[in-house]
Amino acid sequence: MAINLTRRNALKLGAATAVFAPSILRAQGAEINVGSLTPNTGGGGPFGPNITASHKRVADLVNGQGGVLGRQIRLYQENSETNPETAVRAADKLINVNGVVGILGTWSSSVTLGIMPKCQTAGVIQMCTSSSSDIPMADEKGLVFNFQALSPVWGDAIAKLAVTRGYGSYGLMALNNDFTKSMVDAFAAVVGADKVIKEPLYYNAAQASYRSEVTSLIEDEPDAVFIPSYVTDFTAVYKELYRQGYEGAVITTGLSVGPKFKEAVGDAADGVIHGLPVPPLESPAYGEYLKEAGLEDTGNVQHPFGTAGRDQMSTLLLAIEKAGTTDTAAVAKAIWQVTTGEGKRTVYNVTDGLAAIRAGEEINYSGASSSIEFDAEGMVLGRDFQLAEIRGGEDVVLERLKF
Amino acid sequence: MNLQLFVNGLVNASLIAPPAIAFTLLFGVLRFPNFAIGGYITVGAFMAYTANVIFAWPLVAATLFAMAVTALVVWLSDVVVFAPLRNQEPVTLLVVSIAFSLILENLVRLFFASDVRGFDIPLERPIKVMGARITPEQLDILMLAFAITVAVHVVLRFTRFGKAMRAVADNPVLAQVRGLSLRWITAGTCALAGAIFGLTGVFAGLDLVIEPLIGWNLTIPIFAAAILGGIGSPMGALVGAICVGMAEELTILVLPSTYKIAVGFLIIAVFLLLRPQGLFGQPEIKK
Repeated sequence: MAINLTRRNALKLGAATAVFAPSILRAQGAEINVGSLTPNTGGGGPFGPNITASHKRVADLVNGQGGVLGRQIRLYQENSETNPETAVRAADKLINVNGVVGILGTWSSSVTLGIMPKCQTAGVIQMCTSSSSDIPMADEKGLVFNFQALSPVWGDAIAKLAVTRGYGSYGLMALNNDFTKSMVDAFAAVVGADKVIKEPLYYNAAQASYRSEVTSLIEDEPDAVFIPSYVTDFTAVYKELYRQGYEGAVITTGLSVGPKFKEAVGDAADGVIHGLPVPPLESPAYGEYLKEAGLEDTGNVQHPFGTAGRDQMSTLLLAIEKAGTTDTAAVAKAIWQVTTGEGKRTVYNVTDGLAAIRAGEEINYSGASSSIEFDAEGMVLGRDFQLAEIRGGEDVVLERLKF
Repeated sequence: MNLQLFVNGLVNASLIAPPAIAFTLLFGVLRFPNFAIGGYITVGAFMAYTANVIFAWPLVAATLFAMAVTALVVWLSDVVVFAPLRNQEPVTLLVVSIAFSLILENLVRLFFASDVRGFDIPLERPIKVMGARITPEQLDILMLAFAITVAVHVVLRFTRFGKAMRAVADNPVLAQVRGLSLRWITAGTCALAGAIFGLTGVFAGLDLVIEPLIGWNLTIPIFAAAILGGIGSPMGALVGAICVGMAEELTILVLPSTYKIAVGFLIIAVFLLLRPQGLFGQPEIKK
C-alpha cells in the first residue's frame, strides 16, 4: 500500500500524535531524571569511566528493585571532557532538556564551579569529588555535596610527610587551576615559606612544551619539588625534569602517578612520592564495591573515584526516598539525614538503606569512598589519606592516615 | 639559565619545523590551510605506539610504519574529504579540516581511550654542554629535523617531482596544460607531508606524552611558524619555527608561564595584520 503523505495527512498525523502523546509523556514524567557528568576524557579521563559505571550500576540495581518512591530512575550520562566549557553546555542540556534533579560525578573543581551558577539557578543538586576551597563558598543554596576532601587537606598531609624527610629547600610548580593552587598554599604553609625557593610557578595544561618552566623550577637546585597536577601534564613535566638531570625528590598527588604514568616513564618513575585521599579499605561498603565492580581485593587502593560514584548515586536515591519527594530543597535536607549523625542504623548499600527507610528507621549511609559524614556546608568531613613512594615500579605505602 | 633556554628553544623549533614545512607544502598544492595537521600528528604518534609497544617493533621500524600509515591517511583524507570540495572557498575547506581533525582525534580516542602512553624506550639523563643540558634523544631529533628541512629543500629545487610541485603551487592550470598530472602530484605531496606528520607524531611522543590531544597542542605553534615564515615557503617555515620555538621558551623571562600558550596566537595576529605574506612569502596580488 502506498502511503500518500500530503501536507493534510501530515497534519492529521501530527494531531493524532498530540492526542496520544500525553500517555507517553506521563510515563516519562513518572521517571526520576538524574544527570551523570563525568570526566571521561581529558585530565580526569583515567577516573571518569569508573564513576560513570558506578552511577549506572546503582541506578540499575534500584530500578531492578522497583525504583524509589515507586518511580524508575532515568540516568542521563554526559562527558565533561574535564573541560568547564564542555561541562557547562552539557549541564545546560541536562537541566533544560532532561530536567534532572541532580548532576552527579563532576571531578575537576573548575568543572564543578563552572556549572554551579546554572545548577543553583535551576535548583539542581550537585554531587562532586572536587577539592577547591571555593566550592563551599560558591554554593549559596546548600545544594552542593562534595565527596572529596578539600585540597588544603591534601597539601597539609603531603607536606607533613615531606617535613619528616628533612628537605632543606623546595621548588613549587603546579597546573594552573583552583584545585592545585589551594594545595600549593597549604603545602607552603606547612613546610615554611623560608624553605620555598621562589614564587610558585603555574603552567597551563596542553602546552606544546614544559621545558623552560622546568629549567626555571630547578635553577636553584631545590632539595625537593612539589608539583600537584593531573596525569597528562605531570607525565610530560616529569619527563622533562628527568631529562634536565634533576636528582632531588619529586612530590605530587596520587592523581598524577597511576599505572599509566608508570608505564609511560618506566623505571624513571622510581622515587616519586605522592599522596591521595583513599577509600577505607576495611569498610564493608568498599568490599561490596569491589564485588560489584568485578575486582579482586588486592589489599591496595582501587578506584578511588569509582567508589565515590557509588556513594553519590546511593546517597541521592536514599535521600529522595527519605524526603518522599523530588523537590530538591527537601532532598538536600534529607541527604544530611541519611548520611550524617549518630545513633542511627549504619547501612553500607542502597538496598539495605531503602529497606530501612521504608521500615521507618533512621539511617546513616557509610560509603565505599568514606564514611560519608557532611559538614554544614555539604563538604565530606574527611577521608583516609594514603602517602606512598614508587619503588620498583610499584606504590609502596609509607603511611595511611585514618579519618 | 639563558643558554639552557636557548637550547630549549632549539629543541622546540626542531619539533615545529618539519610539520610547518609539511603544512606549507600542502598549502602550496591544495590551496587552503589544512588544520587537520593536529589529527595527522596524533595518528602518527599512535601508529608508532602501536608498532613499538603492542607489536614490540624497534622504534626505527615503528617510526617508518607511522610515517607510511600517516602518509596514507593524509592522501585518503584528500581523496575522500577535500577533493570533492575543491571548488569551495578556502575558508570552507579550513572549517572542514578542523572538523576532520576532531574526527581523527576521536577515532584515536575510540580505539586507544584517553590514557597517557609512552614508547617502550627508557628515559635518558642529559649530557652537559657548556652548562646547558640536552639528551642524546633531543640531539637526534634536532639533527633529523635539520636533515628533513634540507631534504625537502633539495627535493623542491633539484628533482623533477619537486619542480612539478612548485609548478602546480605556482599555477595549477598552466601546470596541467603543460602535461603535469595534478592528481599524482597532489597524491605525492600528500604522501610526503603525511610522512613528515607521522615523524612529528613520533618526535612529539618522545618529547611529551602520547595522548589524543598531542597533535592539537602543537597545531597553533606550527601554524604560527608557517605564517611567520610565509605560507608556501619551506625555508621560511624553518626560520618561523626557530622564531616561534625561541619566543615560546624565552617568554618565561618576562611573563608568567600561563601566557606562553598565547605567544603563537600573538605571532599569527601580528603577522596577519602587518605582513600577511610572512617573512619569506610572496604577496598575493588580487586582480
